[in-house]
Amino acid sequence: MKFGPLVFLAAFFALSLSWSAFVLAPQLQIGSAVQETNAVVKTEMYPQERPGLARQGLQVYRANGCAYCHSQQVQQKDTLVDVVVTEVGTNASRVADALNTAQVGKFNGPGLAAGLPKTILRNIALQAGDSINSILKNAGAKSQLRLVPTGSDIDRGWGTRGTVAQDFVFDSPVMPGSQRVGPDLANVGTRLPDMNWQLQHLYSPASEVPGSPMPSYRFLFERRKISSEFSRDAFADPESKDYEIVPKPEARSLVAYLLSLRAEAPLYEAPMTPPAAPATNAPAAATNAPAK
Amino acid sequence: MNPSANQPVTNAPAPDSSVKDSVVPVWLIVVLFLLVYWGAVYFDEHGGWFAPQVYAPYRSSEELASFNAAFGPPDIKVLGEQIYGRTCVACHQANGQGTPGTFPPLAGSDWVNEKDPGRMIRIVLQGFSGPGLLVKGQPFSTGSAMVPWNSMSDDEIAAVISFVRGNKEWGNNAPPVTPEQVKSVRGKVASSHPLPFSPDEIMKVSPSDL
Repeated sequence: MKFGPLVFLAAFFALSLSWSAFVLAPQLQIGSAVQETNAVVKTEMYPQERPGLARQGLQVYRANGCAYCHSQQVQQKDTLVDVVVTEVGTNASRVADALNTAQVGKFNGPGLAAGLPKTILRNIALQAGDSINSILKNAGAKSQLRLVPTGSDIDRGWGTRGTVAQDFVFDSPVMPGSQRVGPDLANVGTRLPDMNWQLQHLYSPASEVPGSPMPSYRFLFERRKISSEFSRDAFADPESKDYEIVPKPEARSLVAYLLSLRAEAPLYEAPMTPPAAPATNAPAAATNAPAK
Repeated sequence: MNPSANQPVTNAPAPDSSVKDSVVPVWLIVVLFLLVYWGAVYFDEHGGWFAPQVYAPYRSSEELASFNAAFGPPDIKVLGEQIYGRTCVACHQANGQGTPGTFPPLAGSDWVNEKDPGRMIRIVLQGFSGPGLLVKGQPFSTGSAMVPWNSMSDDEIAAVISFVRGNKEWGNNAPPVTPEQVKSVRGKVASSHPLPFSPDEIMKVSPSDL
């Protein structure tokens, strides 16, 4: 083989080029990612390591091929801003005049001053928001910009911002998935925080979500005769009154993993103003965060 | 690739007359050049130059920085609510009612609704434990001490205290607390009181000592 060394070098070059681009470069780029601070609550670190049971659940998720039908990547198309007036200062009508001159809308002084903070504009570009901010500032008012990520995934309620590598720092292996036979799971712990619902859905998806094509994961459960009372986290067998369906450890850990999927912290690389959470969100977070 | 192909060989078949020498057409080179140019421009605009923090839809570190600059100071109400939901809710509950006998309520509490927040800031900064605590006339046990939260910043403590004090849904209606007040109290307790307060000690502090 006369050109043997040349062929070897060419093959080596081709393979090392793709290895550098697909393995080495990403490793240099994000391989050293560690916890970082929450962009709003500066004392909070994100992400937090998943609880032990949830880490086992990641392996159940992997073993059952959940990632073949579910992604964990919220796609974000754009980031828009809302302009919120927090204070109108001493002369509200002057602020209203400035806004009317800038053709932002029709305002009058007393109307603007009532019910602050008030969102006067929604979903505009950052530059436009900045210029309205400075108009308000010059007129003596105080205002804030709220960052609102947009996109079809966010419209569906699958998340509040785009997914970034930071969301997977503690996962090994990462399960971002690529197919979307089922819905995206990046924030399933926030969307569906009820552990019992999750267990029943795994046992019989179609009975919880009519028309769901998801296969049943009955082998993660055990069918037992009810002795005196229900076992922990068990539910009634839909086919017989004398039997109960008891989750095996695999089902418990898988659900703990699903409930730990909450990629919603605002980060430097994914800036977002958290929506003013209604008070009802707090108890859900408190009861579901620790895995049983 | 066959090296013998270029050497004259007898009995070689006649060359295929349909094959002619030709050069790569100029238009193809131009198209390839334009494609490479377009790719480079696209990469320059969208690639973020391999900065690890730049994800779509952001195009560059500068654009990302401009969005982060737009953050400004966080809305103090939202911040307070968020901190409460993460830090305080485990003991004092989402409705601020606490747990009878163990964790005192914040909703409608006489401690929370004091006009001056001196005591409340001290309790959050240094923690609180000890026998004899009465809230709304109910006694609370000593077994569950409140840990100090002095790892939080002045802004955050002011936000969460203001959220609790101004929460009208809970029946509270006390004026908010400023970060400057927290800062000044932090300076005072750091030198004089390293341990959690007991009810007796905190009663000796004037609420207006800020």
